[in-house]
Amino acid sequence: MRDQIAKYAAKLRADRSAVAGEIAFAAQDDVLITDGNGALATFAGDVLSRLNCLGLVVARPALPFADLLVRRAPASEERIFPNDTETRTFLHDIPFLRRNELGGDPVGRIARMLGNRKGIIIEGLGIVASGAVTIEQAYINYSSIFHSTFVKYLQDVLDRGFLLPEEAGIFEAFRRDWLQPLTPDGLSFTETPLTSPGEIFGEITRVGRYTVERGLVDSFFGNISARVGDIIYISQTAASLDELAGCIDPVPMDNSSTTGITASSELIAHRRIYEATDTAVILHGHPKFSVIMSMRCQEQGCQITDCWKDCPRVRFLGDTPVVAGEIGAGGLAKRVPPVIGAPGKAIVYGHGVFTIGRNFGEAFRAMVQVENWCRDEYFRLQAEG
Amino acid sequence: MFGWTGKILKVDLTKGRCWREDIPPDFLHVYLGGRGLGVRLMRDYYRLDPFDPQMPLIFAVGPLCGTAAPTAARLAVVSRSPLTGTIYDCSAGGRFAWQLKAAGLDALFISGQSSRPAVLSLEGEKAELLPADHLWGQSVHKTAAALKTGGSTACIGPAGENGVLYANIMMGEGNSVGRGGLGAVMGNKRLKAIVVAGDGQAAVADRARFDHARQDVMRLFRASPVIFGELGIGEYGTPALVDLMRQRRMAPTENFGRTFFAQSGNYSGPAIRKACGAKKDGCYGCPIQCKKSTPEGEHLPEYETVSHFGGLNGIADLHAIVKANTLCNELGLDTISAAATLAAWGEIRGRFPAADELSPLLESIAFGKGEGALLALGSRRVAEAMGRPELSMSVKSLELPAYDPRGAYGMALAYCTSNRGGCHLRAYPISHEILRKPVPTDRFSFSGKARIIKVAEDTNAAIDSLVACKFSFFGATLEEYAELLSAATGAEYSPQSLKEAGERIYLTERFYNCANGFDAKDDLLPPRFYREPGSSGEGIEIAPIDRQRFDEEMQKYYRMRGLTEKGTFAGGDFLGHLP
Repeated sequence: MRDQIAKYAAKLRADRSAVAGEIAFAAQDDVLITDGNGALATFAGDVLSRLNCLGLVVARPALPFADLLVRRAPASEERIFPNDTETRTFLHDIPFLRRNELGGDPVGRIARMLGNRKGIIIEGLGIVASGAVTIEQAYINYSSIFHSTFVKYLQDVLDRGFLLPEEAGIFEAFRRDWLQPLTPDGLSFTETPLTSPGEIFGEITRVGRYTVERGLVDSFFGNISARVGDIIYISQTAASLDELAGCIDPVPMDNSSTTGITASSELIAHRRIYEATDTAVILHGHPKFSVIMSMRCQEQGCQITDCWKDCPRVRFLGDTPVVAGEIGAGGLAKRVPPVIGAPGKAIVYGHGVFTIGRNFGEAFRAMVQVENWCRDEYFRLQAEG
Repeated sequence: MFGWTGKILKVDLTKGRCWREDIPPDFLHVYLGGRGLGVRLMRDYYRLDPFDPQMPLIFAVGPLCGTAAPTAARLAVVSRSPLTGTIYDCSAGGRFAWQLKAAGLDALFISGQSSRPAVLSLEGEKAELLPADHLWGQSVHKTAAALKTGGSTACIGPAGENGVLYANIMMGEGNSVGRGGLGAVMGNKRLKAIVVAGDGQAAVADRARFDHARQDVMRLFRASPVIFGELGIGEYGTPALVDLMRQRRMAPTENFGRTFFAQSGNYSGPAIRKACGAKKDGCYGCPIQCKKSTPEGEHLPEYETVSHFGGLNGIADLHAIVKANTLCNELGLDTISAAATLAAWGEIRGRFPAADELSPLLESIAFGKGEGALLALGSRRVAEAMGRPELSMSVKSLELPAYDPRGAYGMALAYCTSNRGGCHLRAYPISHEILRKPVPTDRFSFSGKARIIKVAEDTNAAIDSLVACKFSFFGATLEEYAELLSAATGAEYSPQSLKEAGERIYLTERFYNCANGFDAKDDLLPPRFYREPGSSGEGIEIAPIDRQRFDEEMQKYYRMRGLTEKGTFAGGDFLGHLP
C-alpha cells in the first residue's frame, strides 16, 4: 500500500490540487499505515481507525476556495451542494465543519461525518476524503471535491461578487499564479489515419496523458475514443486519462460482443456521435471554466428548474453549442450528436466538453479552444461585475 | 412503526399451529431484516442438524420491502445448509417478498415436520396449513399454477421433496432461493409450498427525503455502464459477462482444468438474444430487469448457468443449456451446483456429459434414481465416493461459480472467507477486480485484498439485510441506501452504521460455523488452483495461485476479524456481547 500512497501523493502535487507539504494518507491493512505531513498523518490515522474502510487522505487544497465557500455560507448551513452534474451525481453534497465547530472530540466528529459521505471540508485544515476499497478511491474523492469547490466558488463569485475582504487578493493571486496558459503547442499527434490496434492504443494513451499534463482536465474526469472500421476503441470506466495503458476496450459497433461492459459510461454517447458524424475520434473532459460557463443562462421567466437535464434548448458559448442531458444512459447521448457535427465541439450543461475530429490533434485543439474561450469570457464577465 | 411491521409468524408443522408474535423494535434496528434478522433468529438452533425437524426455516423481508426503494422487493431465506453444514442464507427477488410484507409480516419462522405434505397459506392476518398430497411430486411450474389464486408462492419441486442437497426453493415467478439446499430442508418438513397474499401498504416516515434518495439511486444506475449501459446487464442480463470472462481468460472450463472455452461465444449475451429472442424480464418492481426470457415467457439462463452447463462441462450447444436451465427450474435444482457436480463427476470418470445427456441426468438427480442418487449429494461427496476428493471444485462443499480464482485473487480469498462456502456474492470482488466498480483493483495482486474483502463482506451483509439486490451497487452505494433506510424508517442510519451491522451479522455467522467445527482448514481452495496454471494467452498469464501469499493474506484477514490464527474465536462468549 505504501507504493499506492506514494503514487497518489505525487499525483496531488503534480495536478497542483494540494499544497505540497500538507498532504497525508492513512491506510488500513492488518495494521494502520500513515504517511506524509506529521500532524496530518497522525490525524488521518486516528480518523481512519474509527472507520470501516481502507484509505483516507487529508490535504490542504492549493486553492482556498473550499474554505471561502464555507465562510460565505450562511451560519445555518452545514454542507455545500455542488452544481456541476458529475460531482452532484456521485457526492450529492459535501458536509463541512467550521473552525469553531470541532469541539472536544474532533476526530470522533469527523469520523461520524465521514461515515456518511465520501469526503468533507474542515475549515482551516482542508479536505478529508475516504476510500472504501483503495487509496486511489480516496484520491478520486479528494479530487472530486477539489473540482466541485473550484466550480462552485468561481460560479458564486460571478453571481454574488466578493463578500469577504481578502477575496479580491486571493482571486487575483489565483488568476496570476495558479492558472497556467492552456495550449496544445509542442504536443505531437498522429495526423494520418490510425489503423493497427497498437497504433490506436498508443495514440489514445498519449493523448489522454496530454489532457492531464496540460491541465485541461483532472485525471479521472473524462473519456476518449477512436473509431477504426467497425470497432470503437474507448477508455474504460473509472480509468485515469493519464494512465490508459491496458484500460482501452475495443467495442464492435454492432454490439456483437459485450466485452465492452467495462467501457466508459459515455460509450453510448460516443457511439451515437460516430453514427451521426464521420468523425474518427472523440475527446471528452470536464475542463472547469467550460463547466462553469455552461451553467450561466440569461433566459428570463423560464419554468424549468432541473436545467441540467430538462432544458430542451441549444444555447451557445461563442460558437460552441450547449445542451443539457444526464450522463450515462441519461439524455446527453441523445442531445450531443445532433449538434456536434458541424462545429466539432459541444458542451453539456454543468458537465463537460465533447470534441471530435479526423485525428486527436483536431479534437485536442478544439477542446483547448473551447476552454480558453470560456476562461476569457469568465474573466471578462467577472471584471464587468 | 415505519419500515418494519414488528411481527413474525411462527409455524409449528409438527403441531399444525400458526401464531403471530411481536419482534422488539430494538432487535429490528440492530439486525435490520432479511439475512441479519434470520441469522439472529438462528441463535438457539445453529447446532441442530439441517434435517432435524426442529431446524427453523426462516423467510425474512427487510425494512425497504414494500416501498419504492429500487431492487428492494426481496427477502432472505435462512437456515443451516444440508450441503455445506454452514449457516446459510439466500436472497431472492419476486412478488412473494412484497406480499409477505403486505400481509403484515417481517418474517416467517417455520419449524417442525408435517406428517403429510402441506401448504402454508397466508391471507392477510389469516394463516393456515392445508393438505398438499395432490401437489407432492409436481413440478415447480404446476405447483405455482395450482396455487396462483391464493397469492404469490414459494415452493419446492421434486428435488426438494427427494432431499437433493442442492435443491432450491423457487418463487412463483421463477426466482430461486439457490445454492445451499434449503429446498431440501423445506422438503424434509414436508412443506410443499407457501402462498401469501396481503394488501397492507408500507408507510414511509419521510416521503420527500425518500423520493430524493430514490432519484439519487436512479441517477447512479443510469451512470453505471454495468447496469444501464448498452452492453450491461439491463440489456443482456448477466450473460453479458460471458465475453468478458473469456477475454480475461478466467472462464472455468472442463471442471476448472482450463480457463478458456473457445466456443463460449455460442452462449454470450448477444448470442442468446439472437437465438432466443431474449426480452427484458426481472424481479418484481426492479428497474434493472436483468433477467431475460423468451417471447413465450421461458426464463433464459443466467451467466453462471450458461458457463457451467457450457464450458465447465465442455458443452457448446446453447439450446441444450437453455433446456437444462428450464429443467432445473421445474425440478427445483440449483443450476450452479448441478452443473459443477456433473463436471466433477465427468472429469473423474474421464468423460464429461454430452449435451443430450444433460436432461436425463438432471431428472435422475431430482428423483434420486440410478447415478442421480450419488450426484444428488453434490460434488464433494461424489468426488469422495469415487476416490478423487481433490476434483470437487468447492469450498466448504459449495461448488464454485463461474469465476476462476486464478484470474482474480480477491475472488480466491473471498471464496474461502465466505460463511456459506464457495460463493462469489459475499464479497463480490468481481465488482472491482473485473467490472471496475466502484474503482478498479489489480486482479493479480493480493495487496490490500484482505481488507477489501472484509469491508465488502460487511457491506454486503447489510445489503442482504435491507434486503436489496447487490447489482444495485454497480451504481449506487451504501450512502444512498442509508438515506433510503433513514427516510423509510425514521431512524438515522449511515454507511458506517450499516457496515457495523454487517460486521455483527458476519461474525455471528462465523461463530455459528466455528461452533460446528469449521476453522482455517476449511478456508482453502481445491489444490488444483495452487498447483496448475489456467489457460494463458493473448498476453495474459494465468498462473497457479501463490499459496504462501494466499496464506499470508488469509492470516491478515483473521487478524482484521479479531480471530485466532486458526480462524476461530478466542473465547466462547462472543454471542453474549451481542444484542
